[in-house]
Amino acid sequence: MSRKALDQTLGFLRSLDRTASTDEVARLLLTEFADLGIAHVMAGTVPQRGTPARQQQGHVLVNTFPDAWGRRYLTRGYAFHDPTVRHLGLTTAPFAWRELGPRFADDAGARRVMNEAGDFQLRDGITIPLMTLDGGVAGFSLSGERLAMDPADRPMLHLVATYAFGHLLRLRGQTVSPEAARLAPREREALQWAAEGKTDWEIGEVMGISTHGVDFHLRSARTKLGTTNRTQAVAVALRRGLIH
Amino acid sequence: MIHFVTPANAYQYRAEMEQVWRLRHAVFVEEKRWMDLARPDGREIDQFDTPEAIHVLAIEEGRVIGYSRLLPTTRPHLLSEVLPQLCEGDLPRGPDTWEWTRQAVARSHRARGKAINPVSLSLLAGILEWGMANGVRRLVLQMPTLYLLHVVQLHFRAHPLGLPQSIGGEDIIAATAEFDARTLARLHELRGDARSVLAPTYPYLAA
Repeated sequence: MSRKALDQTLGFLRSLDRTASTDEVARLLLTEFADLGIAHVMAGTVPQRGTPARQQQGHVLVNTFPDAWGRRYLTRGYAFHDPTVRHLGLTTAPFAWRELGPRFADDAGARRVMNEAGDFQLRDGITIPLMTLDGGVAGFSLSGERLAMDPADRPMLHLVATYAFGHLLRLRGQTVSPEAARLAPREREALQWAAEGKTDWEIGEVMGISTHGVDFHLRSARTKLGTTNRTQAVAVALRRGLIH
Repeated sequence: MIHFVTPANAYQYRAEMEQVWRLRHAVFVEEKRWMDLARPDGREIDQFDTPEAIHVLAIEEGRVIGYSRLLPTTRPHLLSEVLPQLCEGDLPRGPDTWEWTRQAVARSHRARGKAINPVSLSLLAGILEWGMANGVRRLVLQMPTLYLLHVVQLHFRAHPLGLPQSIGGEDIIAATAEFDARTLARLHELRGDARSVLAPTYPYLAA
């Protein structure tokens, strides 16, 4: 590892320090690691088996998975079958998803999650196992259609993911304050329509603004709620009674 | 309570320091199997246990239940002498920078299911209180990469000194951890108690 590469990694950690929302963290990670083939990030603590889908959302710190996959993952309780999640408690070393294939060859539930993830261009990935201060098992996954990683990249990803997870927990600690979760009227209105299943274009028509404007309000609402996508923003806003 | 043992007050802690050497042997040799540190007399003492070292003891009813060692970075210490490969740039050195090593808690006092137990939190709170009163603002740590998360969660400002390296089968990273009043406040919050953890020192010792 050259001194220059280390400086680059440390510089990246300082950029992470300056991010103020999970969205920003996700964007920064995806930009930095695009050339490793990483297209999605997902991190959180592992819910107890049998935790209802609504509460599972609360375990997610960042998630850029396609909405359709995220919904299916939650509603079908895939977290309890996903081999990358089940492997978390067994190791402290980062592992590549493809290393898990043989271990779960006889497990239909695990195979189904992996195959279906492939349909959403989440075929390849690496997961960094973590444990929070209060003993919760956690993980940070970086994934894509095909990762182009060198074994030497792993220590760097291990460091970055561990640090980013800590930063995300700090951000969450700040966003649960009622101050941060106060939505502007237009943000709340856009989110309310989103909860009704309307598209950006439809919301724009109802609110008399452009699709771009809708995107702006929803993005801002997501940031305030400390969430990473529309589904999660709606879920959190419902739970906090900000929309109905 | 947390006690700081230095050459100035060591005469008061002879029995407790004897417990320290045995606790260190039990934790680092018998449990963690750091066999380089094994001693036939069961007292783990190494070349850094000089008069420069500060011993931090958690004592409950006369029994040492937790321990940490602080070494000045202006003198030879673990990172400079034993694990220099973990630091890829200049060594962090200075009177405001101390190395924190040999963190140990008696087996009887480890909480189940928690990554960090109350004794460790008290030791750390004591180190921060001492540091803030003595112009120390950062610690040098060598630890499994996983612990970096806890350092960040405790509101330290962590600066890795290199990438993780495999040492004795574990991924180890060196980092500095800067602290301030927010770090101590976070520890108070986790401990559920904002009172000082430091044992009172007798007035005539301060003179």
